[in-house]
Amino acid sequence: MATQAHSKKRVCYYYDSDIGNYYYGQGHPMKPHRIRMTHNLLLNYGLYRKMEIYRPHKATQDEMTKFHSDEYIRFLRSIRPDNMNEYSKQMQRFNVGEDCPVFDGLYEFCQLSAGGSVASAVKLNKQASEICINWGGGLHHAKKSEASGFCYVNDIVLGILELLKYHQRVLYIDIDVHHGDGVEEAFFTTDRVMTASFHKYGEYFPGTGDLRDIGAGRGKYYAVNVPLRDGMDDESYESIFVPIMTKVMETFQPSAVVLQCGADSLTGDRLGCFNLTVKGHGKCVEFVKKYNLPFMVLGGGGYTIRNVSRCWTYETSVALGVEIANELPYNDYFEYFGPDFKLHISPSNMTNLNTTDYLEKVKSRLFENLRMLPHAPGVQVQAIPEDGIKMDIDDQDGAPDTEEAEKDERVPQSIKDKRIMGDNEYSDSEDEGPTGDGRRNRESHKNPRKKQKTTEAKVDSEAVKEEKTEEKEKSTEVATEKKEENGTATKKEESNEPVTCET
Amino acid sequence: MANNSTHNNNKMYSESTYRVGDYVYFETSSSSPYQIRRIEELNKTPSGNVEAKVMCFYRRRDLPTPLVQLADKHQMATAEDSDSPVAMKLKKMWLKTPVSEEQAAQAVLDPAIAALEEEQRNNANSNGTEKSDLSNKQKHQMKHRELFLSRQVETLPATNIRGKCSVTLLNEEESLLSYLNKDDTFFYCLVFDPTQKTLLADKGEIRVGSRYQTDLQSLLKEGEVDTRNLEDLETLVWTPNHNLSDRKIDQFLVVSRSVGTFARALDCSSSVKQPSLHMSAAAASRDITLFHAMDTLHKHNYSIEASMCSLVPSSGPVLCRDEMEEWSASEANLFEEALDKYGKDFNDIRNDFLPWKTLKNIVEYYYMWKTTDRYVQQKRVKAVEAESKLKQVYIPNYTKPNPALITNNSKSSLLNGTANGNNDILALTNGKPCESCSTSSASNWYSWGPSHLNCRLCQTCWNYWKKYGGLKTASRLAENDIDAIKKRPVENCEDDEKMTAAHRQSSNKCTYVNCGKEFKLKAHLARHYAQAHGIAIRSNSPRPIMKTRSAFYLQTTVTTRLSRKLCRHVIKSKKAARQPSYAISLTTVKTEFTNAMAKVNITDIKSFLKYKKKDRGSVTLIANRLGNPATTGNEWLKLTPKDQMPKPEKVAFPKPPKGPDGSLIYERIPNKVAPEPEKFVIPNTIGCTIITPTNVGLPTQLPPLPATVTATPISAPLPQAGKRRAYEMNGMDPAVAPPPTKRPNKDPMPSFRPSPEQYAAMIEAATAAGQPLPRTHLNGKPKIAQMSRSGSGRKQVISWMDAPDDYYFRPTENNKRSRRNLTVPELRRLARKPWRKTSQTNNNVSNSSSTDGGPQVVILD
Repeated sequence: MATQAHSKKRVCYYYDSDIGNYYYGQGHPMKPHRIRMTHNLLLNYGLYRKMEIYRPHKATQDEMTKFHSDEYIRFLRSIRPDNMNEYSKQMQRFNVGEDCPVFDGLYEFCQLSAGGSVASAVKLNKQASEICINWGGGLHHAKKSEASGFCYVNDIVLGILELLKYHQRVLYIDIDVHHGDGVEEAFFTTDRVMTASFHKYGEYFPGTGDLRDIGAGRGKYYAVNVPLRDGMDDESYESIFVPIMTKVMETFQPSAVVLQCGADSLTGDRLGCFNLTVKGHGKCVEFVKKYNLPFMVLGGGGYTIRNVSRCWTYETSVALGVEIANELPYNDYFEYFGPDFKLHISPSNMTNLNTTDYLEKVKSRLFENLRMLPHAPGVQVQAIPEDGIKMDIDDQDGAPDTEEAEKDERVPQSIKDKRIMGDNEYSDSEDEGPTGDGRRNRESHKNPRKKQKTTEAKVDSEAVKEEKTEEKEKSTEVATEKKEENGTATKKEESNEPVTCET
Repeated sequence: MANNSTHNNNKMYSESTYRVGDYVYFETSSSSPYQIRRIEELNKTPSGNVEAKVMCFYRRRDLPTPLVQLADKHQMATAEDSDSPVAMKLKKMWLKTPVSEEQAAQAVLDPAIAALEEEQRNNANSNGTEKSDLSNKQKHQMKHRELFLSRQVETLPATNIRGKCSVTLLNEEESLLSYLNKDDTFFYCLVFDPTQKTLLADKGEIRVGSRYQTDLQSLLKEGEVDTRNLEDLETLVWTPNHNLSDRKIDQFLVVSRSVGTFARALDCSSSVKQPSLHMSAAAASRDITLFHAMDTLHKHNYSIEASMCSLVPSSGPVLCRDEMEEWSASEANLFEEALDKYGKDFNDIRNDFLPWKTLKNIVEYYYMWKTTDRYVQQKRVKAVEAESKLKQVYIPNYTKPNPALITNNSKSSLLNGTANGNNDILALTNGKPCESCSTSSASNWYSWGPSHLNCRLCQTCWNYWKKYGGLKTASRLAENDIDAIKKRPVENCEDDEKMTAAHRQSSNKCTYVNCGKEFKLKAHLARHYAQAHGIAIRSNSPRPIMKTRSAFYLQTTVTTRLSRKLCRHVIKSKKAARQPSYAISLTTVKTEFTNAMAKVNITDIKSFLKYKKKDRGSVTLIANRLGNPATTGNEWLKLTPKDQMPKPEKVAFPKPPKGPDGSLIYERIPNKVAPEPEKFVIPNTIGCTIITPTNVGLPTQLPPLPATVTATPISAPLPQAGKRRAYEMNGMDPAVAPPPTKRPNKDPMPSFRPSPEQYAAMIEAATAAGQPLPRTHLNGKPKIAQMSRSGSGRKQVISWMDAPDDYYFRPTENNKRSRRNLTVPELRRLARKPWRKTSQTNNNVSNSSSTDGGPQVVILD
């Protein structure tokens, strides 16, 4: 891709070396080990050294109860394999036991997975990174007070909640073969988060994700469900993913995107029934990346672990904008990748039950729904003034809102590049942070330091801002004017902007 | 030309090749339509046949009429006053389906028909009114295309497959006509549960309410500061913002590997394990060294020099080892043995084999062990097992004529389909035209419907009927009537067939946990039992002969007791007790009893029924008295003094040596309560243990191996049984559908007790590799004795001989009362741990049972 060459991004990657040792139990298809396999591949591909590697904190109970019920988290915290018998009632209530077994370190595992996603969100909020990757996250089935489908704590919802502090609208995309019901349910009634899920539907877990499920209340039309049938191949997938997501980007105009990269949609998955290759799967990452929005990439399903780690390694390379060889480098788990020891996999000859006719029908129905969005052209512009007000505010001052506004706008690549250069210094200052802290750790300087940090950030961003405020103001004015005037044409132009400005 | 023909061949081949996941027609009876199934598994039976495990789809005609009626009735009823569960479910479904009230009022069963009608209306709008007749026909045919998914699984011989079809979940956006226009396509919307006779929409639900949605985070306001502090949330481990070039990093990695190699040369324990330099270098190149090197660079601020120095501190070069290297050879052997025994239940493995390892150690080791040759060998064994599971099967087109084909005695004329033959047939069947399309000329005719009506179908309509289970047009005889006539016997016999099939299947299924093999014939099953499980079976019962004695409980009625008194002269109970073969004529007892009853009055009866306890003194005293007719006793009855006892030639179980204090010294047997050996682990950031002079050492004694391992099966519940998960359940759904599981795998959990074939393969593999057989394999047969663990964690082996007899417990009023005093949790706890004493309630129970233990009679045969 032409865009790849100069779309080097600041990528942060979250990983805890313990994650691979959590074990769901005998015969259970979910294997956290796949995350470690990915990690080792990243190291040996030399991708490790190209990104910022973080060990996430363990999410606290407070953090997790931002979404989950207190009772449920308390239960997760206290249950262990050796005291399971005392909790049988609660286990039933919270759906823990069968698909979601109680295993050693269950709570820690949830903490790490959630901790990574929350830290990613904060990182994006602080504009300290453009793409954050947490392969340990993406557990999209977990409900407010219920475990489901191997997921206990919904790190995605927690991450999105964090993003909502700075972003008026967040887009969630789910390319797991299973429907992202936990996330959809959590944001079913809000118009600030749009959830879009591409999944196998019909006689399949979790049974939700009908074309007709479009959200409720204020959130009506803010849930996009693309029900698919067995045997989806790369071509069909792209033929439906690209137009629908383009339209979604166009009409919803998110200021941040979360992508759940469940790898069970790959061919030959133990539980999945699609026929995607690593390349086809990675195209979705590529697609979202092009929009240059704060971007969180999460893991998810994936039960043929050698392919999962292939896929996520490739997708990390896509996020980094680095090309990697098809030949897998030697690593601790090299033998897993036999007999070919290649990065890419080929599709099987299974029949694709998704006829073009079917996909076409689904697509047109979804377009119809998307046309109902208030932002859509031809409909009274309602939500725009909200933004407009905020713009006014950030013209005066107020760091967070300026950041918000900046993200709302498509910034020319040249300026973005400059900002990346600036990030270098920024991170240095961050590196100094802990040591500086060490020097004066006799007293608590928590608040002063924070202030200092924000001012730093402000200075940093202001430097950039000054350059572009003028431009930006102009462009926003134009944009809003155009919107009010009318026109599909202007809309399209706008949405094409990020793409065109890159190429 | 040749090309063309091979192409055709290929096409033929691919059409007749059936794979797992294909939707197929199955012929179970020649006179009924095909059944539509989805292949879940293809298994090769020992006899070489292929059996298909299939998921059932039902046609509309297969649904029980009450259900259809109920559903239809519901449409008529208003939404409020229907409260049957089926209706409720249907209502729920209806509420979800965007269909207007009028449409709902029409007697349509499900969304599919509604969709059809909507479509027709659209058509009518666009095309005028031309085809109301046509759409009636379509509506009729559409019903044939609708199926109902069931979660029922059955096993059928693959040779009964009669072709492929396709079944898809109906999508609202799809035109129903697209199904009609394409052969062999079906759709479904609803799920039929044959056990509960319910219809359900196959969909989950996104719930709305504060209990389900998240509290929304509002956008930070002007001046509001995010309280999040990145430092609290993450620790930087590596950053790309440094001055080192890629090359420099690579060089440093090589250096750290060389340091590692050198460190291994210095380390004694390593030099044993890696006798060659190559092996040391390979061990030093594992990822843990690289991760450590990267961490070191980061820690030293990306200064190569500082990092290098830290690799070689004054205490010697740094040595990073992962679990793979950390484990000794004997530990590895223990692990393999444990894996063989317990499967991947790492908790059990840890408890019983490797208590000095943490679970994390074991898991990490396991995943690395999987890269070794040993694992590959095991996989080969698994592959042998998988051989019986087929991915696809080729079944040539079925060409035998259906018995329903109307044949003249002169078969040839019929097959030729000449006019001549036609005439014959016409003569035979009273010249009736085709029941479906009314044609009177066709190549072949099939008799159809109840025999006395002499109806027949032409070839095309017959094919249609076989595939879609209905006639192309609604029959002039109302189809329902015919169906009603036909359905009764057909359905019944089908049901019977199914029943017997199911019965046969279940009775010919190996009852062993984790085996579950199915056999066509009982004889095969018996052979399987004998070979695989080493048990013999009575010919007419699937229960093994070597079953523990089963108990029965005889509770006598009042009349029985009375009869014993009144008809003593007939019954002669004492004689009967001495001679069990002595026959008592029941009829004489009965007549005698009625006669006697006429003579006695109630008070007598009452007195008869009173149980008079005879005081015979204690049993012990009686026994003593019987044993010692003379109080002095005979000389020969006296016990030999211990020291004069003859010594055995060989002491099988010698007493352990005595310690200085005179007590016996037993070898200490580690079990899970034993404290772990001390281990010094230096906390390390990346989880590698840097070797210090630890002495984890080999365990001198192996963990307790089961001492009494018998090669006989037991019939006590196997410990694994409890571990079965619901998702393994075959066939029917459990009563109330729980949240669906994500794992659709219906086959039982991979059994870790290899089958004889596997063992054969294992032995082959082992002998090929020149290794001794693992000792758990006795005569190439898996060890079957099961271990259970009691509360203390000690293992017990229960042989079938010692298995406890079943018993009956008849509670008294007191029992019941005391039970009522217990709370439910207490009761449950007691049920789980019967030996546990709970407060005074337990005393009550024992008291009450001891005071009036009278009615608790247990009679064993």
